[in-house]
Amino acid sequence: MSMTTPRIDSGKLGELAATPDGRGAETVFAVSDLTVSYSGNVALKGVDLAIQKNFVTAFIGPSGCGKSTFIRCFNRMNDLVPGARVDGEVLYHGRDLYGANVDPVEVRRRIGMVFQKPNPFPKSIYDNIAFGPRILGMKQDIDERVERTLKHAALWDEVKDRLKENALGLSGGQQQRLCIARALAVEPDVILMDEPASALDPISTSRIEDLIHELKNEYTIVIVTHNMQQAARVADKTAFFSVELREDGSGRHGILVEYDQTTKVFTNPTDKRTEDYVTGRFG
Amino acid sequence: MARVEFQASLDGLEATLQEQGALVLRALRGAVDVLRSQDVELCDEVVAFDDEVDARYHGIERSIALLLAQQSPVATDLRLVLAILHNSIHLERIGDQCVTVAKLTKLAAELEPHNDVVEGLTEMGERAEEMVRVALDSFATRDVEQARGLVDLDELNDRTNHKVSDQVLLMASTPGTQEWGIRMIIVARCIERIGDNAVDIGEQTAFIVTGEFHEFTDASH
Repeated sequence: MSMTTPRIDSGKLGELAATPDGRGAETVFAVSDLTVSYSGNVALKGVDLAIQKNFVTAFIGPSGCGKSTFIRCFNRMNDLVPGARVDGEVLYHGRDLYGANVDPVEVRRRIGMVFQKPNPFPKSIYDNIAFGPRILGMKQDIDERVERTLKHAALWDEVKDRLKENALGLSGGQQQRLCIARALAVEPDVILMDEPASALDPISTSRIEDLIHELKNEYTIVIVTHNMQQAARVADKTAFFSVELREDGSGRHGILVEYDQTTKVFTNPTDKRTEDYVTGRFG
Repeated sequence: MARVEFQASLDGLEATLQEQGALVLRALRGAVDVLRSQDVELCDEVVAFDDEVDARYHGIERSIALLLAQQSPVATDLRLVLAILHNSIHLERIGDQCVTVAKLTKLAAELEPHNDVVEGLTEMGERAEEMVRVALDSFATRDVEQARGLVDLDELNDRTNHKVSDQVLLMASTPGTQEWGIRMIIVARCIERIGDNAVDIGEQTAFIVTGEFHEFTDASH
């Protein structure tokens, strides 16, 4: 065995962490020159970025930087916003997500989403989980699917004796895990999370973070968060978005500033703007 | 500027580190003086003075524990905090080496010194002082090139260390000189280690500036 000079390169830490379990080897989304406008006003401009399979990818940045706009491009949620326009390319496993023959409903089955505020249906806990599979025709063994999904979302032990009770009776943290379970019930490939823990207390937040660590082995997760420590704790890669003033003074739009291994972003970011944001010197 | 309190804490930590450095330089000056003068009282003073250095180290350690818990530093701030902790430990160890030099000098005070060896040791001690000063300055000014210059100074001290060892070996056959010689070999080793610690501090300067940790020279050097 030969000995080498001790050397720690923070830029390589993420790569080293990613290799042993094989996560991150494949590309799920490849985004090129993506620009999103609302009624002609550019909200996010010229984004190039790739999301890797079984990675947790975090989007961070100040309010108005377009990170929520961006995450909504991955399951075509912006289609539902009047006046929204998406230019550029989003390839999902090599296929154009915005292609003419792509069904947005099928897209949203494969790419589930969890929102900032838990939004369970005003139905029983059981029906919240069973609803998606039923309308998608996954009617076989529905009881088993509900149990499996609730276990997957680390909620089963807390709700197994009250599946018929209204989901709105659950605590905020339980409701959010129910929403994650609801997303898992239709067997997605990707889970998008838009500030999933920002309305939760610290204990519920750490449960969601534990869950993210569990789920990344089977799913690809993209998370928008205002909590930078949360990004540092859960994400393999982190993208920092910021706001850029337009040269003609006509307003401002979001841009992607830096996208790298999370360890790199939080120990030795390349761009001064990222440094200023993560160290809290922004503005 | 945002995070005013946090920045004040970082500035305070860095000032305390430089203060610890100034104390260590005084200890080192004392250690060189005892070698030259064989003054037993001064030896005791150098030993007692180490409590001052240790107190600064413990203060820095406590402040950093609080800062990590309360402010969660990242990026440059995180590197600075880590570097200050490392450097404070290095300075504390330099203080310990000065104590050992003083204790050994005291133990050998009744024995006949060998002038060539004393000269070599004081030369090493003065160079070690210069190295600690350069290390602290380069850290304060984030001057990586100045920090890298420590390697050359360390090389000179390594050479003098070997020379001192050779001189002690030569006088080993002279009756009654062995005890003094053996003690002075350990003194030389202590001063040589102080140089290494100064290089370690220089490496931390490069770490906070570049974000990557590299030893300036490998272990086989």
